[in-house]
Amino acid sequence: MISLVEELVLLAVEDDGKIAYTAGSHDFAMSLVGACLVELNLAGRIDADLEGITVLSTEPAGNAVTDAVLRQLVGPRRSVREWVRDLQPQSAVLLKATLGSLIGRGVLEKTEARFLWALRSRRYPIVDGREQKEAKLRILSILLSDELPTPHDTVLIGLAFAGGLLEGFLTRRQIAQLSDRIGEIGGLDLIVRGVEAAIRDEAELRAYTMMMSVH
Amino acid sequence: MITHVNPQDGAALVTATGRLDFEASAGFQKELETAISAAAARKAAVIVDCAGIDYVSSAGLRVFLVAARAAKGASVAFAVHSLTAAVKEVFEVSGFGRIIDVLPDHAAAAAKVGVGA
Repeated sequence: MISLVEELVLLAVEDDGKIAYTAGSHDFAMSLVGACLVELNLAGRIDADLEGITVLSTEPAGNAVTDAVLRQLVGPRRSVREWVRDLQPQSAVLLKATLGSLIGRGVLEKTEARFLWALRSRRYPIVDGREQKEAKLRILSILLSDELPTPHDTVLIGLAFAGGLLEGFLTRRQIAQLSDRIGEIGGLDLIVRGVEAAIRDEAELRAYTMMMSVH
Repeated sequence: MITHVNPQDGAALVTATGRLDFEASAGFQKELETAISAAAARKAAVIVDCAGIDYVSSAGLRVFLVAARAAKGASVAFAVHSLTAAVKEVFEVSGFGRIIDVLPDHAAAAAKVGVGA
């Protein structure tokens, strides 16, 4: 079974193997870090509350991607939003490692092509589409019903929405129509709430910076 | 964390005391799931008295989601009451009040799930 982090990244892979443009955003980067933190929580390496993250054990959990994040969680206790903001620059490395993991599992393959003789185009065509299809169907089923999701699916929906990945299989209008339901279940996790707060922080900072540059 | 389950007419009363963190979460989840299964068998509700829970972490919060899901799946009415200020804040931030009946006291919780106080 693929991990939460792998499932989130898989949602970013389009039918033609390209990585969705939303995966280049800071929002996705922070969602990816959030997924790693949730995995570490589930593995008993950390716990989190409204004040911050507590490292319960530094013993590697056996997952190269999340263990890399675990090694960063040193120093004074800090909030989820602070850790997410600070770790998001490492998301490219986390993404690359997760894609590598999915390739290793035979879910994706990597292809490279050159165009205009010099420019390289890298894609990750889906070899085994079952996991991605199943994840999308599960998300749709939950959003279109009143069933309570599992903790895993709560986090997946919350982080997929925060990271702009629902746009890969839902129109913006559909997402708007489902916004109440997404909001109802996507935030039933304190770490996801921390990711949302980090994304808001960054948006506010961008807006402030823009305002200051105008005046 | 200490948990007591007291089956009564119409409802299983679960009383929990202590910190609901990662270490306590697995045991508490098992207690709740057992109480829900037993309640389902006798068509009873489950009421959780949270007055003694002074802390809940992200891991602990997931237990309530798992329990609510199990209760819904088993058609068991499920409610919590008497949240401490710290736990209430966590429930509010995460929006748990939208999926779980959160009541101020036992009488209100009992009324909500349809049993005598």
